[in-house]
Formats: sequence, C-alpha cells, structure tokens
Amino acid sequence: MVESCISNKIYSYKHECKWPNSEAADVHGIIVRKSRSKGFLVFFSALLILANAVLLFLIKDKSIAVVFWIFIWDVLIVKLLLRKRVEKESVVVMPALGVQLETHYVSGNIIRRFVPIDKILKPVLLECVTPVTCYWSLSLIVQEEAELMLVFKELRPPVKMLVPIWKALCAATGSEGSLNTFTEDGPCC
Amino acid sequence: MGDSKRHRILMVSDFFYPKFGGVENHIYLLSQCLLKLGHKVVVMTHAYGNRSGVRYMTGGLKVYYVPWKPFLMQNTLPTFYGTLPIIRTILIREQISLVHGHQAFSTLCHEALMHARTMGYKVVFTDHSLYGFADVGSIHMNKVLQFTLADVSQAICVSHTSKENTVLRSGLPPEKVYVIPNAVDTAMFKPAAERPSGDEIVIVVISRLVYRKGVDLLVEVIPEICHMYPNVRFIVGGDGPKRVRLEEMREKHSLQDRVEMLGAVPHARVRSVLISGHIFLNSSLTEAFCIAILEAASCGLLTVSTRVGGVPEVLPDDMIVLAEPDPTDMVQAIKKAISILPIIDPQEMHNRMKKLYDWHDVAKRTEIVYDRALKCSNQSLLERLSRYLACGAWAGKLFCLVMIIDFLLWRLLQLWKPADDIEVVPDIVLSHDEDRGISQDFQAFNKDHSLR
Repeated sequence: MVESCISNKIYSYKHECKWPNSEAADVHGIIVRKSRSKGFLVFFSALLILANAVLLFLIKDKSIAVVFWIFIWDVLIVKLLLRKRVEKESVVVMPALGVQLETHYVSGNIIRRFVPIDKILKPVLLECVTPVTCYWSLSLIVQEEAELMLVFKELRPPVKMLVPIWKALCAATGSEGSLNTFTEDGPCC
Repeated sequence: MGDSKRHRILMVSDFFYPKFGGVENHIYLLSQCLLKLGHKVVVMTHAYGNRSGVRYMTGGLKVYYVPWKPFLMQNTLPTFYGTLPIIRTILIREQISLVHGHQAFSTLCHEALMHARTMGYKVVFTDHSLYGFADVGSIHMNKVLQFTLADVSQAICVSHTSKENTVLRSGLPPEKVYVIPNAVDTAMFKPAAERPSGDEIVIVVISRLVYRKGVDLLVEVIPEICHMYPNVRFIVGGDGPKRVRLEEMREKHSLQDRVEMLGAVPHARVRSVLISGHIFLNSSLTEAFCIAILEAASCGLLTVSTRVGGVPEVLPDDMIVLAEPDPTDMVQAIKKAISILPIIDPQEMHNRMKKLYDWHDVAKRTEIVYDRALKCSNQSLLERLSRYLACGAWAGKLFCLVMIIDFLLWRLLQLWKPADDIEVVPDIVLSHDEDRGISQDFQAFNKDHSLR
C-alpha cells in the first residue's frame, strides 16, 4: 500500500507499508526517474569516436587494428559509465529488528546492509559542504563506529524527501523527533 | 529609529575562529551583536585542517568552513572563478540579502565580493589594516583592492586614518566610506580588585613579536628604562620571529630578573597578564586601530604608545602618552607616564571605557550602513562595467573582461543548476527553556506539510 509520494525532476520518493495491518515493515524508497539523455549522450559519443576511427581507416589508410582497438575501448567506456547506474535506493524500517538499507542498480545488482535497532544511536540530517556545493544528507550514528553511516550512499535526494524518512527512523529508534541538540558533523563534509 | 528591516548577512573572510586575532574577534563579536539585534548572520571562511563543513556557534551563528585549501598566510588559493558555485549555493540557500567582506588581504573576501556583485547582491567591505604604496606586494594588492571596491555598495574603515589610507589606495569616493571604530569587551577586561601594590612599577607588553610591532624599538628602550629606574619591571607576552632579539637583549644587559618573557599568551589569559601591571607599552610601527590599547585601558592601565596610524584617535589624551617611533622619545614618554601614574584611577578608567566603546554600538552603526547599502540602486552589467573601465588604461579593460567572463559563467551555472533546485535552509529559532536550557527548533522540519 502506497502511503505517500513526492517527486521532482530527478528523484521520486515512495513510502509503502509492506503489511498494512501490522507495523512490521515500512519501505521508504528513492527512485531515480528514467533519464534517457545520459545513455543517449554516452552512446552517441561512442559512435562518434568509432566513426572517426573508421574514417581514419578508409581515408588515411591506417590499419584495421586501429578500428578494432577503438571498438574495444568504446565498449569498455560505455560499460564503465552505464554499469554503475543506480535505479533505486530504499530503506526498510522494521521497528523491533532494525533497518535495512538497499541499493538497486540498473544491471540488476542489489546491495543490502542491515543495521540492528540497538546499534543505532540516532539518525541525523546534516549539511555536507564540498568545494562546489552544499547538500543535505541523512546518516545514522552507529555504536562503536567512528564514522557516520550514510543511508543513501549513491543518491542525493532533496531534503523534503529526507525529512519523512528521518522522522520514521527517529520513531523506530525511539530518538526524539524535534531535535534538542545540534546535528553532529560528518567526516564527509 | 523607525522599523528597520531584518537583514540576512553573509560575513566572508579568510580569517575566523579557530584562528585568533583582531579581524577574527571583530567578525565574531559584530556577528553576535547583530544576532541580538534580530538579524540573521552566516559566516563563510575556509576550512582549518579537519574543521570543515557547517558548524554552529553561540547564538545560532552558522559558519561554513568551505574545503578550499589555504595556500599562503591563511589565504585561500585565488582561482578567480572557482568559488562561484559554492558562493552562489550559499547565497541562495540562506536567502542572503547582503554580503559583508572583511580584510583587504583575504582572497576569499575579494572573490566573494566579486561574485556577489555579479549576481546582483549588495556588498559592504571593511578594511582593518593600513597598507603601503611603494613595494611590489602593496602595489599589486592595491590594484586588486581597486577592482573589488570599484563596485562596492558601501565601505567601512576602523579609523579616520584608515579611511584616508583606503580612499587613497583604492580611489573610492570618500562619501561611500564610513568610519566605525572597533570596540572592546569591557565585561571581560575589568581592572583588578586591588592594584598591584609595592614600590615596583610593572610595564606590560603583549603583542606578536614581529618587525611591524616595533620590537626593535623595545630592544633599545627596555635597557635604558631599567637603568634609569631601578624599581621598574617588564613583562613581555607574545611570540614571534623577533623574540630572539629580546632574549639577546636580556642576556647582554643581565636583565633576567627585570624582564619576564611569557611566550605566547592565549586570548583568554590576556586579562590576567594585563592586571598584573601598571603601564601598557605599545611600540607598533603601523596600526590602523589597535585593539590592544583598548583592552589595556579597560583593565585600568595607563598606555604609552607610538604615534602611528590610527592610534591617536583611540583613547582620550589623559589615558595615553604618545611618542614618536624613536627610542629617545619613547623613553621620555615612559618617564612622563611613570610620573603621572599616582593620579590614575583604574576603576574610573574602566567606567569611562564602558561608556566610550561598546560592540552593541558598533553593531547599530553597522546596521545603518547596511540600510544605506540596501537602498543603493540596482545596476545593470553595462553600468557597472563603466566603473571598472575607470580603474586604469590596461587594468580597466582587464577588469571588464574578468567581470564579463564572471557574468557569462554565472548565466551558464543558472542554466545547469537552476536556482529552484537549490533548497532553502529553514531559519533557526533559538528558544529559551528554563528547565532544559537553550534548545533549537527547526520549525519547518516539524511541520507536516512539504517544505516548499
């Protein structure tokens, strides 16, 4: 059952209750909206390079080996750029057990990380500053870990999508939703 | 006295906490007083080692430590256009209305002011130091200053001498420059409950031991005074490259029991060093304002100083004895100070200082400058370019080119990362709760509807 849905140009957020009659699990997912442009751009540039190589072969009498190597290079580049595309990242909140963080890739690969509920000290929303920009990120303060655990490793959803997830995590872990303390600084900043 | 608007100010400088100094203190205390007046203040500076990202200080002062590496004397590497994206992001997300840059020697300040002007924000600049005109470094820096100040909305200097210096260096019309002196935290710098008694007279010197602070003068003056007055003792606090000269002087004249060297004194301990003395000696060769003598006067010490820069403007004549930066003249001044010492009342001096200097007063005056700056008209790119052309035959054209490229890059950035995509940060509202102490409430986050 879909409880709520927020979307913008790049991402859309979906909140589902797996078993509506019990509080067993809540899934908060951030889905990357299909953008054809990146794939198109990558394929187009690869084609351009290949066409160049063929032209070189035909006009300047270079050996066919050049075309062959360019083709191999193209295939590798395309694989590299498009392989690691993320389709969806989600958080499954199981109030009594813990939190499962999932990353679904376009290639079908799924990476899951589970954090037991008593290891989570507090979920925090913090601002990360890079040399060119500043963005919000949701992280978990985990017991006995020196570093914060990012809930969304690959994606950078906007804060309006992070807030309901943060509130749900706070409710599940029992930390107070309206904060009394400063948010902690993260090593990624 | 009317209903003035709430400003949203971005203070930019390379110099801020955790570094200590005049500029750093000024920015921090001015920001705190502006926060008390109800304005929103955000500070932007470069990262200091591990201290990178967003930090919050007292009163809800938000500080952005941007991870650009400092390259020379705490200054960020000047890349001209490299800081444009992060400055634009910060200006949009914090909904800034005005950018206030500090210190001519800060590259981050110049870049931020340039980008803020390109994006149409009003800009105020404060100059804290005096600079020369003759050497290569000064000539280049003055040209950069001319570029930045060609289009600034208003400028502030800390003394009339500093105003004269800034106007001459930058070619700015004097009507645009306001003089707002620094102040001192009189609550922290209080005189001792009881004056150090005994027949001894203690002269205190606290400064960085560099050439600019006139350490060479001290080396001449101290032995002379020690010879003339057997009951005078010196306490020297501070560290620097010239410390070696003072140590040599001590050895040469066998003054180990008359001259005490404390080494670097952390700012929190300055007061305790000051109240152990009767006279404060300042031998700087150049000084735009000199907060050190304010601190000394607030602690009830009589000041002896060189008559340089803005120093004569700082204290009333009965609280300070001035001398030319020459050893003989300084010795005479110290003699005079020792003779008038009995009539000095430290508590009365402190009370006068409380009335004369106050950071809240500085904040109110700065607020007036902000109001004036915001009233300045919005100018199009072409009108602004004409101001840059006036900077010089070759320099003018170069500056115009730099600004045109900046404008184009900004437009490109607007297409690539539209302003609507940058989320606005909700304002912090500090609430006082007697039971739980001070707590923060991100009000917008607690509402159930979406943020925008």
